[in-house]
Amino acid sequence: MTAAAGPAPSNGRPDPDPTTGQFGAEPADRPVPAPQPGQFGPEPTDRPVPAPQPGQFGPEPTPPPGEAFDPTDAGTPTDDAPAPAPAPAPAVPDAPVPSDAPVPAVPGVPVPVTTGVVHALAGGVISGPAGQPVHPPPGGPHVGVGPTVEPRQRLHPLSPALQGAKSLVVVIAGLSWSTLSRVGFGWFAVMVAVLALGATILAVISWYNTGYHVVGRELRVYEGLLWRRTRAIPLERLQAVEVVRPLLAQLTGLAELRLEVVGGGKTEAPLAYLTVADATALRARLLALAGGVTAPARANTPESTTTDAAPAPAPAGRPLHAVRNQHLLISQLLTPQAIMLPLGVAFVTTQFLSEGSWSFVAVASTLTAMAGVVLQPIRRVLDDWAFRIARDDEVLRIHKGLLETRAQTVPLNRVQTVAVTWPLLWRFKGWLRLRLEVAGYSAGESDDRNRPDRLLPVGDLPTGEMIVAEVLPGVRLADLPMAPPPPRARWLNPLSRARLGSGLADEVFAARSGLLTRNLALVPYARIQSVRVVQGPLQRRLRLATVHADTAGGAGAAAKDRDLAEAWALAAELTDRAHAARTRQ
Amino acid sequence: MSAPDRSPTVSGGEPAGAAPVSPLEPWPATVRWQSISHDQIWVELIRLSMTLAVLLFGTAVGWAWTGHWLFGTALGLVVLIGVLRVIGIVRAVRAWGYAERENDLLVRHGLLVRRLSIVPYARMQFVDVSAGPLERAFDLATVQLHTAAAATDARVPGLRPAEASRLRDRLTALGEDRAEGL
Repeated sequence: MTAAAGPAPSNGRPDPDPTTGQFGAEPADRPVPAPQPGQFGPEPTDRPVPAPQPGQFGPEPTPPPGEAFDPTDAGTPTDDAPAPAPAPAPAVPDAPVPSDAPVPAVPGVPVPVTTGVVHALAGGVISGPAGQPVHPPPGGPHVGVGPTVEPRQRLHPLSPALQGAKSLVVVIAGLSWSTLSRVGFGWFAVMVAVLALGATILAVISWYNTGYHVVGRELRVYEGLLWRRTRAIPLERLQAVEVVRPLLAQLTGLAELRLEVVGGGKTEAPLAYLTVADATALRARLLALAGGVTAPARANTPESTTTDAAPAPAPAGRPLHAVRNQHLLISQLLTPQAIMLPLGVAFVTTQFLSEGSWSFVAVASTLTAMAGVVLQPIRRVLDDWAFRIARDDEVLRIHKGLLETRAQTVPLNRVQTVAVTWPLLWRFKGWLRLRLEVAGYSAGESDDRNRPDRLLPVGDLPTGEMIVAEVLPGVRLADLPMAPPPPRARWLNPLSRARLGSGLADEVFAARSGLLTRNLALVPYARIQSVRVVQGPLQRRLRLATVHADTAGGAGAAAKDRDLAEAWALAAELTDRAHAARTRQ
Repeated sequence: MSAPDRSPTVSGGEPAGAAPVSPLEPWPATVRWQSISHDQIWVELIRLSMTLAVLLFGTAVGWAWTGHWLFGTALGLVVLIGVLRVIGIVRAVRAWGYAERENDLLVRHGLLVRRLSIVPYARMQFVDVSAGPLERAFDLATVQLHTAAAATDARVPGLRPAEASRLRDRLTALGEDRAEGL
C-alpha cells in the first residue's frame, strides 16, 4: 500500500521552514526518549499516514504513525519514560476513554491520512510531564517565545473543578428520576456526591497529565495517564478555531479552545480550560502559524512565531450583521416542535386529570420528556442568542450564545458549501437560514452544536444576500441561474418538480430542492472534490440522471433528475470549471 | 496493462445500453474506457456462491426436516435470485470501466443504478491498493481513490497487479503534481 500523501504533508513538514529550522537547532532541550521502531512489535507500517519524518525537528523524536495505539499493549508501559504518577490509577473510565473514542474508528476510514494526528502508545514514547518544566498558565501570555522549544503548558488549574461540575450534571441525568424515587433523597445525594467526587479526582489526574505546546508549525497535545497520547496537529491543516465559554467557564473567567482539522473525525484537541486571555492569544497565534491558510508557503515568515504577528489580533473586524434576539425567538417559535408543544401539554394534562395519578416521578418524567422535545428550539435560541457575524480580512468571526458563548473563527477559503434553507413556517415572514460547511467538521460528529454551521440563524432575504456575497464573492442569491428539470421528471417528483433546479453561476454551482422546506446549496467550483453522475432504473426509463458535486464535509450539491444529455454536459462543465477554478487559485 | 482481456474501447456497445445517449458512455470521442479483467467475474461468482450455499443449505435442510411448502418456495426463490445475480454479475463486471483523462480519473459502474465518478487527480488524498485472498488467487487487485469528500466513489476492482501498481503510481505522481488540497 502506498500512501500518496495528500497535499498538505508534502508542503508541511519537509519544506524549508524557518520556524522549524529554528526549532530544529536546539538539541536536548526536552530529553524525550526516541521511539524505538521495534518497540511496537507487529505495528503495521503501511498505514497511509503522512509519516512524520524523524529528524525533521532536529533531535526531537516524532512518535510513530497512527497504528501505535494498541490497547493490548496499554497495560505494560515500557519504562524508559519517567512515569509521572506511579500509582496506576485503577479506575479509568474517565479521562482516556472519551478522548480515545475516535481511535478504534481510525483504521479503515481515511481519517489517519488527513488528520495527521498521531496517537502514541502508553509510556514508551512520551515522557511524562513530571519531568518537564511547567509554566503556570495564569497570566502568562505567550509572548516570550524565543527560538527554543517552548515548555509544555498546563491547562488552567481550575479545569478539573469545572470538569467535575460538568460530570455532576451527567451523573444526575444518569441516575434519573426513578432512582431518586426509589432510594430517597438522602441516598441519592450521597450517590451523586460520591460519583461526582470520583469524577473530579479523575479529572485532577488527567489535568496533571495534560499539556500542550507549539513545536514548529504543530500544536502538540499530551494527555492521558494509562493511554498516553501525543497528538501533533499540523497547523496548515487547521480549518477553524473557536473559543467556547460554557456557563461555568464564564463565571470563572475561563474558556475552551477547539481546533478543527481537515478530515478529523471529531474536534481535535479541545483545550479545556484556559484563561480567556490565553485562549485568544493562542488562537491568534495558531491562526498566524496556520498562515492565512491559502498559501502555507507564504506563512513561513520568521515573524509567524511571535504571538501577535499578523492577521488575527483585531478581535472584531468589520461587523456584518447582528441578529435581533426578537427575531430569533419568533423564528424558533415557528418550528414544528414549538407549535406542537401546546397540543402535547394539553394531551398530557387531560390524561393526568382523567387518571388522577399525580405521583412526583410521573410528573417529573413527563416534564423531562417534554423538555426533550422542545430542547432543540430552546437550544437554538440559547446557542444563537446575540448572534453577531463580522468579517476580518479573510476570516469570518462569529460570536454567539447566551449561557455558553462561542467565538468561532472560520477562514473564508475553507468554506466548502453554503446552504440556504427556507423552512415552511418561516416563509410568510420571508425568513431564511444560512449554514456553511467547513471541511474539518465531519458529519460523524454527534454533537452538532460544535459545528460552526450557523452562518445566519434567521434573517430576511437582503441580509442573506449580503452575507452570501461576503462569504462567496460575486454570488447573488436573488438571481442565480436556475433551471428546472424537464417536465417528464414529474413522474419522479410529482409535487416538487417545479421546486427542483440547478444552475451554473459564475463562481458557484447552485442546486435547489424541497417542497415544504426549501433548500438551496451553493458549492464554489474550487471546492468540488469530485463529480458523480448517478442514474437509477426509473431515471433510465425516463432518460434522466442526477449530477452530484461532492465536497469535503457536508453533502455537496445535487442536481436531481436532469435530462441525460444535459447531465453529461453539466458534469463536463462542472469538471472543467472546477479545474479552472483550482488552477486559478 | 498486461492482461490479455483488455478491450480498449467499448464504444457504445454497452450491455443494455438502450438509451440514445448511452448512460455509461458520455464522451465517446474523447474518453478511452478500459474495462477490468473478466476474472473479476469469477471472484464475484465465488463470493456469491458462498452466500448462496449457506442459504440453500439452510432452506434445503428446513424443507427436508419439516416438509413445509414455505421452505420449498424459499429454496426456489434463492435459486432464482442466484441465477439473476449471476447474470447481473457477469454484466456488471463487463460494464465496469475506468478511464484516465488528462486531469481526472473516470470510473463507471453499476447496472441497475449506474454511477460515474469524475475525480480530479488534484483532489486525491491517497490511493488504496488491496487484494483479498480470493482476488489474489485470481491474480487481481483493487485500486481505490480517496478524496476529502466521503461521497467520492472511485473504486476499480479486478486489475492485474502490474496494472494496479501502474495505476497507483501514475495517480500518485499526478496527484503530487497537481495537489492543491482543499
